[in-house]
Order: sequence, then C-alpha cells, then structure tokens
Amino acid sequence: MSKINKENRPITSEKLMNEFHRYQKGSITRRHFLEVTGLGTAMTVLGTAMPSLLPRKAHAFGNLGNRLVFATWPNYHNQVNLDEFTKMTGVHLQMNAFGSNEEMLAKLQAGGTGWDVFVPTNYTITNYVNLGLIQPLDLSRLPNYDGSANDPMFAKPATVNGTVYCVPKNWGTTGFIVNTKKIKSSPKSWKDFFDVTMGAGSGHTIVHDYQLTTIGGALCALGYSFNSIDPKELAEAEALLIKSKPHMFAITSDYQPGMRSGDAWMSICWNGDATQLKNDLPEMDYVIATDGGEIWTDFYAIPKDAPHLDAAYAFINYLQDPYIQAREASVHGYAPTDSRAIALQPDSLGSDPILHPAAELMNGLEFGAAQTMTDPVRAEVIARFKSA
Amino acid sequence: MLDNEDSKPNHWPTAALLMPTTMWFVFMLILPLIVILIFSFGERAAVGGYAASFTFEQYANLPARLKAFQNTMIFAPIGTLLSLFMAYPLAYYLAMRVDRRYKFILLVLVIVPFWTSLLIRTYAWIFILGGRGIPLMLEWIGIEGVRLVNTPGAVLIGIVYGYLPLMVFPIFVSLEKIDKNLLEASNDLGGTPFKTFMQITLPLSMLGVATGCMLVFILLMGEFLIPAFLGGGKVFFIGNALVDLFLQSRNWPFGSAVSVTLVVIMLITVSLYMRLTMRTKTGRDESLM
Amino acid sequence: MRLYSIAIYLFLYVPIFIIVLFSFNAGRHASELRGLSLQWYGKALANPFVVDAFVTSLVVALTVAILSTLMGTAAALALQRLKGTLRILFDGMIYISIMIPGIVIGIATLVALVTVFNFLNPLLASVWPEGVKPLKLNMGYATVIAAHTLFTMSLVIILVRARIVGMDRTLIEASTDLYATPWRTFYQITLPQIFPAILSGFLLSFTFSFDDFIISFFVAGANTTLPVYIFSSIRRGITPEVNAIGTMVLAVSLILLMTAQYLLHARTNR
Repeated sequence: MSKINKENRPITSEKLMNEFHRYQKGSITRRHFLEVTGLGTAMTVLGTAMPSLLPRKAHAFGNLGNRLVFATWPNYHNQVNLDEFTKMTGVHLQMNAFGSNEEMLAKLQAGGTGWDVFVPTNYTITNYVNLGLIQPLDLSRLPNYDGSANDPMFAKPATVNGTVYCVPKNWGTTGFIVNTKKIKSSPKSWKDFFDVTMGAGSGHTIVHDYQLTTIGGALCALGYSFNSIDPKELAEAEALLIKSKPHMFAITSDYQPGMRSGDAWMSICWNGDATQLKNDLPEMDYVIATDGGEIWTDFYAIPKDAPHLDAAYAFINYLQDPYIQAREASVHGYAPTDSRAIALQPDSLGSDPILHPAAELMNGLEFGAAQTMTDPVRAEVIARFKSA
Repeated sequence: MLDNEDSKPNHWPTAALLMPTTMWFVFMLILPLIVILIFSFGERAAVGGYAASFTFEQYANLPARLKAFQNTMIFAPIGTLLSLFMAYPLAYYLAMRVDRRYKFILLVLVIVPFWTSLLIRTYAWIFILGGRGIPLMLEWIGIEGVRLVNTPGAVLIGIVYGYLPLMVFPIFVSLEKIDKNLLEASNDLGGTPFKTFMQITLPLSMLGVATGCMLVFILLMGEFLIPAFLGGGKVFFIGNALVDLFLQSRNWPFGSAVSVTLVVIMLITVSLYMRLTMRTKTGRDESLM
Repeated sequence: MRLYSIAIYLFLYVPIFIIVLFSFNAGRHASELRGLSLQWYGKALANPFVVDAFVTSLVVALTVAILSTLMGTAAALALQRLKGTLRILFDGMIYISIMIPGIVIGIATLVALVTVFNFLNPLLASVWPEGVKPLKLNMGYATVIAAHTLFTMSLVIILVRARIVGMDRTLIEASTDLYATPWRTFYQITLPQIFPAILSGFLLSFTFSFDDFIISFFVAGANTTLPVYIFSSIRRGITPEVNAIGTMVLAVSLILLMTAQYLLHARTNR
C-alpha cells in the first residue's frame, strides 16, 4: 500500500520515514506531516469513523488538577507526547523510572506512593489483584481503548476473573544486545551469552538486576525453562551466575549508558532498547536467543489509592489513541498490541525484525509466570548473586 | 537550668525541657528498633512482607550475606584511614601554615563540594572514570584497556571523595585550638620539627582525629549509594543488601535481622574504638560526646 | 605541603567543574558535550516537580533545624542536672541515634510506621464522625521531618553540651549572687556563650536534612525531596537538567555563605 500525498503522487517510504521522524521529534507539526504524506486525506476519511483521531480541544477535559505522578521504565516514552498532553490538559507529569516490577511492588506494598498510573508487566497483574493494590478500570472512561483491536495473546493478562484491570501499552521480547564491533563471534543463545561473558567479552557484559530475566537467562543456558521455580534447577542457575559474576561489567537494568559509552559490549536487553541503540549505533545487534527467552506485554494500570483519578483516566485514554501509540512506538521502539496503531506505522517498521521477529524465533519465548515474582527461592537466588 | 546549690531541687523544669526529646527517642528510635527486632524473628509472608512467627531462621541465614558484611567491614576502615591520611596534611596546612586572612575562605572551599548533592558528585565520577574520562586520556598516551569504573577501586575513590570534607573539618578544629606557645616552647627546648609534631601536635589533635574517623566510619557502614553507582551493582555493601532485601526480595524479616546485626556490630566497634581513644588521650575528662 | 594541598583542592573540584560544565550542555545526554546553552536551567526552573522538590526540601530542612535546635538546646541544658541511671540512659540513646546508620533508621522507621498506620487507620475510620472524611495517617512531610529530627536533635545536644561543659561557671555564680532570676541568668550569661554551638547546630541540622537522601528515600512517601528527585532523574536517564539543579544549589549556597561572611565581618569588625 503506497501513501498518496497532496499532489496525488505516491511518496517513497523513505521520505515517509523521514517525515515521521521529524514529526516524532516535534520538528514539524501534525498538520504538515499529514499534508506532506497524504495521510491527511486518509485521516479526514477515517476521522469521521474514528473521532478520536481528530485533535481535541483542551477545554473538553474539565478540571483534572495539574499533577500526575506515574511510575514507568527507563527510555519508555516519547517526550513529545508527554509534553503535548501537558499542553492540552494543563496536567504536569512526574515520571518515576524503575528497573524492575519487584521494586514497583515493594513500593506499592509499603504504601503511600502517591502514584496515579503505573506500568506493570503481564506476570504481575494477578499478584497485584490478589494483594488489592490495583483498581479495576472503568472502560467507559477510556473511549480510545478498543478491546477487540488488541491481540488477545498479549492482552489476556489484563483481565482477571472477568474484570479488566489494565490496558495494554506494547509488547516486547527479551534477548540480548551485542556490539558487533567488539564481539566478533556472533553469540546466538543464552549459552553463548554466558560463554562469551566468561571469554572474549570478559569485563564487558551487563545483566539485569532483578530475578526474571537474569535467572531466566541462566536457566535457558542450562536448558531449563525461563520460568522455572524448581529448586534444583535454580541452584544450578545460581552457580552459573556466580561463576560468571567476576566477568561482568555491571548488574543493572539501566544498561543503555554502558552500551553507548562502549564500556559494555553485551547486555541482556529488551527489544525496544535494541531499536533505540541500533538507530544511533548501527553496529549493535539484537539477538533473540535460540534456547529461550521472554515475551511480555506491558500495561497501563491505576493503583488502588491514586490521588488524581480523573487525570489518570485522561492520561491513559490519551495514550490509547492509536495515533499517539504509533508516535510512542516510533521513539521507544516497541511494537504496539493495538492493530489500529500498527496500521498507522510506516511499512518499514512493520517488517523490522527487532520489532516483529520471525515466528520460529518467537516459539521458544515464554511469557513471564506470576509465581516467579513471589517465589522466595528465586528472590534469594538473585539476592545471593548480587551479594556474592 | 544551671543554678547553684542553695535552691531546692525542682524537677519540673528539667522534666519539661526533656519531655520533647524523650518523646522523640521513644517514637522515632525505640519504637522502630523494637519493631524490626520483632520482625527479625518472623517469617517472610508468601508475597513478601512480614508474617508473624517466632523463629531464628533469619539469623541462621545471615551467612548468605557474608560477602556483603565482609565488604563493608573491609571498605569502611580502609576508606576511613585513607581519608584520614589525605585529610590530615590538608588540615595541618590550613591550621598551621596559612595566613589568618585566608583560613576561613580556604576551609569553606573544602566544604563547598559537600553542598552539591552527593548523588550528582558521585555520578560525575562515573563519567570521569568511565569510557570518556580518564581511560580515554590514558589511551591518548598509549595505555589501552584500562577499566576504572565498576571496580572496588572506583568505590574507594568515591568514598574518599565523598567524605574528605567531613574528615578535614574536625581535625582542623582541634589543630587550630593548639596553643602556638607550646610549639614555640618545644622548639626553644631543642625539639626537631618532627619531634614537635609527634609529641605535641599529633597527640593534641587526637580528639579531632577521633571525631572525624568516627563520623566517617559510621556513615560508611551504612553507605549504599557509592557502591551502587561506582560499583555497577557488583560491589555489595550491607547497605545495598538491605535496600535489596526491602525493595526487591521484599523479605522484611531477613532485612530486619540484617539491620539488627548491623546495629549490634556498630555498637560493638564504636564502643571499642571510643574506649581505645579515651585511654590514649591525655588531659581533662572532655567528653567526646 | 603547599603542592599537596593544591592537589587536594584539584581533586575536590574536578568533578564539580564537570558537573557545572555539563549543565551548560546543548546536547541531550549527560555524557557528551555538544556545545553550550542555558536550556537546562530554563527547563529545570520550569519543571514544577523540580520546584516542588526544592520547596519540600527547604521546608523540611527549616522545620527540622528549628525543632532540633529548640529541643536539643533544652535537652542539653536539662541533662546537666540529670544523674545516675537516667543520665546513662539518655546518653545511650543520644549515642545510638547518632551512631545508627541512616539506612537502618530509614527502613526501620518505614516498617514501624507502616505497621502502626495500618493498625490505626481502620480504627480511626471506625470512630470518625459520619459524613466527614476520616483522618488517614500516611507517610509524608511529618514522617520525614520526624525521622531527620532524631539525628539532628542528638547532634545539637552534643554540640551544645560540649560548649556548656567548657563554660565559665563563675559567671553564673556571680549572676545569681547579684540576684538575677534563673531566666535572666540564662538569657544574659549562658545563652550568649553557647550561642556559637546553637548556631552551628542549626546550620548542621539544616545541611543534613537538606542533603539527606537515604532516610527521605524511605519515609517521605509521596512527597519528593530534592535529593530523591535527583536520584530518580539519574535512574530514568540522566539529562543535564540534574547538573543544572546541582549547580544552582551550589550557587545559592555560595551566595548565602558570602552574605554570612560579609555580615560577620561587618559586625565584628576585626
């Protein structure tokens, strides 16, 4: 499908990507973008069918207060979207970044966080519901959300016992990223990852600082399941981790600075970060390990005692707009679950192997399991590893 | 109030003056300590948190964090001694050699870095020791592959940097108080500068040295930011273990056991230290505290 | 020796220089300098959360300093009259509150207060009058002020007590011989002599509270103090905004210092 522009001549997908990048950076206005790419006509046509695509006026929001606190992950949002939300509604956003779901849970358990919106991963939802830390969503206040447009494979965890507790943000995979200029051996599996860590890449590898992905990677390297809570298998994984620890550069979930500065050559990585890194540094290569890994969905949710509920709903609603979703995805590099948003993305993104990996690679990936979050053995293993 | 021996002992003013302090101690010190003491004998609830119980298993599990204890018990004294050796000459210079007009301003210049947040200062060191800082400069002169950041050495540098001003100040204060006449007298009696230093200056400055060392040591035992930033998550202090236990594993009972152990260790080490320095000190019964 | 001192000063100031330099970074990442600009100062000042965090830190630090100076001085004076086991008990508690690592007291306070609040809140809700929103105890301003004050109050007690011990008693005796009331004696004799200790206690308390991260991290609840904000900035991908904040705090402190220095000199006229 080629996009038609104002003069009724198709534009190249390269030019479309250029304009899209300029739009995402905020260099050109939405209007200019729509005109130049010819999407404007499409918008007008679609606009009547999907009113949410038309720009809204600020006064339609009523009184939302002027603060919103939300907890999310590093490098996960398009600042242009956030700024536009503030401009439209007058609500200032405070973003708190966390490196793990466990930490978000710890904060919520301790109480009094003051968060209005947070971004949990699929395997945590049932735990939050059981602990009474999350509130069910009133879908009538989220007109932009279209349940049917979301791939059920990804959106399923949002509904617990028939009640919807969150809406999908995007999905992703967990693999590892390699700086091909420094590591020539092309590691393909978690086993390779740990071999390279103790070998050619010694002193330059990063692993995450929480249990799911780090222990999961070690388990896969040993041929076990990513989500295993079997104490014997966990003991072996712990041994592997502790053995390779002296060869690691850092244990952190904020690995981008290390990779960018060249201090780190390989790291456990989420695919969106891989896209971001690859955009700036083409020598970066993202690998979905052949012996397993994680596939996940992140959601937007509202904690039980959110102080600014109206602002929270307005914010989530804004972010569910397919156009905004597409704009978010263009910056953070993860694929949306919403088919309407996917349709708005340039074709090249649709065929990007990092965002949409081949089906056979995806088969080995597992969704994180809820019990890994609460399992005390896994918690102790990662703590002992960090402490070793 | 300070009054003379003639007045009748009136306890009310004393009680009134001490009441707020007492309340503070009870609610903000004793209560929290009792709570974590109780929790340390409990069990981790299935999803994290505390489950009422009475067991010693948390204390039995302490060896699992042995490395963290070891790291702290090694780095804290080394860091303290290192800052002492770096700070003393500077304090001496400021107290003894610098012209009166500049003393204040130079002293303050030592403290000023302290006023930028410790976080930002430590982060600056990540840059200096990282791929774009010193190693890059070393590469220019031909030394390749030097890794400075995320090493125990980096943590040590961070520690000394963070606490140097804290060490300089008390030593300066006690050196400043030394009566210059004593030094003159020692000279007149034929003492070499070295002897004067060893027998007059150094002993008289011990109070400041002790205060500085204690302050730094205490703060180091609870440190977790510097190892977290400059150790890249690889160097674990007890502080890091505690943060991890409460914010990741959510194992409140075990975290409480580690906290109680840390407090006990501190009580013992600091008491020993105080007793040691009290004994070697000459002079009046000047209470350190 | 002079060379050594210069080296130390360099050591102290190179990171500061880098922080200030990068605050003028025209680029986005705090690790690559891309030209100079004032944009981050504008962004920091326009960011309501930075301003919020700064104001919170300021209010907390002032309150802590005032509270601990008042309570600490009162306690130091009163402790002179205490003897025996009570005295040993108090000395012990002062000693422990100074010696306990910030992280332990932060965590312990959080755990204790959360437990107490979880216990009290349902009780309060049940006895609260109908129709009125019940008082809900939460971590916030009060808890972080209270937690800081524990340490700073003991600090003040120590400082003031050291000064009292070194004071000239004969002046007090003379004052009472001349029929002055205890209050007058205190106000005109004792207070001026211990004033330097009270002042340094106030300043130290303020500094400690303003720069504290560890305790605030755990007990401040939804309120963010400046160090906590900086920490989460570093977490979410540090931008030069943090450098701008650090430089501004530094600049303000320096200005305050210069003013104090000037006032002191103008007064004492040495």
